[in-house]
Amino acid sequence: MSKSGFASEKVMRNYLSALLVDEDETALAQADKEKLRPVEKLLEKVNVIEQPPKAVPVEKQAVTTPERVLDKVEQAVAKELSKKEYRSGEFQALFFDVAGLTVAVPLTELGGIHRMDKLNQLPGKPPWFMGVMLHREEKINVVNSALWVMPEKYDENMENELDYQYIIMLDDSRWGIACGELVNTVTLSQDDVKWREQAGRRPWLAGLIKERMCALLDVSAMIELLEQGQDSGTGL
Amino acid sequence: MSQDRIVTANSSGGKAGDEVLQWVTFRLENETYGINVMQVQEVLRYTDIAPVPGAPSYVLGIINLRGNVVTVIDTRSRFGLPFAEHTDSTRIVIIEAEKQVIGILVDSVAEVVYLRTSEIDNAPNVGTEESAKFIQGVSNRDGELLILVDLNKLLDEEEWDEISGF
Repeated sequence: MSKSGFASEKVMRNYLSALLVDEDETALAQADKEKLRPVEKLLEKVNVIEQPPKAVPVEKQAVTTPERVLDKVEQAVAKELSKKEYRSGEFQALFFDVAGLTVAVPLTELGGIHRMDKLNQLPGKPPWFMGVMLHREEKINVVNSALWVMPEKYDENMENELDYQYIIMLDDSRWGIACGELVNTVTLSQDDVKWREQAGRRPWLAGLIKERMCALLDVSAMIELLEQGQDSGTGL
Repeated sequence: MSQDRIVTANSSGGKAGDEVLQWVTFRLENETYGINVMQVQEVLRYTDIAPVPGAPSYVLGIINLRGNVVTVIDTRSRFGLPFAEHTDSTRIVIIEAEKQVIGILVDSVAEVVYLRTSEIDNAPNVGTEESAKFIQGVSNRDGELLILVDLNKLLDEEEWDEISGF
């Protein structure tokens, strides 16, 4: 990989850091605050009223700060996301390389790994659809991961540098994403990941692994997008 | 084409309802495609195709088949493949679809295969191009992918009307 390539460490850090400040999330947070303004006003009024006597604990519970409301919203979203097996305790993730970009997938959602073999082209498919690979009785729909994940970075240079070796199977679906090298498997804690609390523009992104600054895939969301024939949206 | 070309699974020891159909397979570029044998009338060696001025881009031209004019479709362009010179293996497959007889130019014709419907999978439902619509399904045939083509969808309604005028 050339130094000037997209994969240089600095570029990648900037690239991934941008994900941490998602426009959608910022907008949503702003929208939440807008919604909570009337509540704040109401609370201001509540504060003007004389403090309730200690003997009435119900009143104390009824006073809800905006922060608490926000917490509840976040908890509701987190609850939705926490249905996934890897959203509690430690979990293992497989790290792999896609055109210089490291991507991780939770092992619980890894359907298997195959060596890249002959691909059969189907007419009329989107450019990111590499073809169908036969593996025993399976017909695997192979995705050009680099093109799917970061279409805006995909150019002739990147295409020439691609050296897909393996297919990472997404859960028990027929979809497999191509990758260059398998890096390693790491046990992660919940705190190791900056989880995306809102689906936003990249529902396929479960979060960012802080130390490595790499993307953790939300496999089920990715399968859903692929089944609908959609690309990643705006890319990474 | 007679009905005896359809062999039911009951007569071949399979599950009831698991119909067996015959498919004529042909090659285009590096892939193998299959078309329902019931729609194939004959297979011709390559013959000169007379271009038709003003014809749509998907029409290669016309041939004279025993006194009848048959329109030949540019299958390669229809399948999004680059142009290739004809060879000794090139064939024109005469088919009937949407009540019309047309020819499709292919790189070669391979064989006739039997497939149970249970052996056919849906093609991934991605892609909005016209060429994605005529892929009827895919099947694993001895470790090779066979792409099944729905000839009726090879052209859209407007295009079928258009070529009926030739």
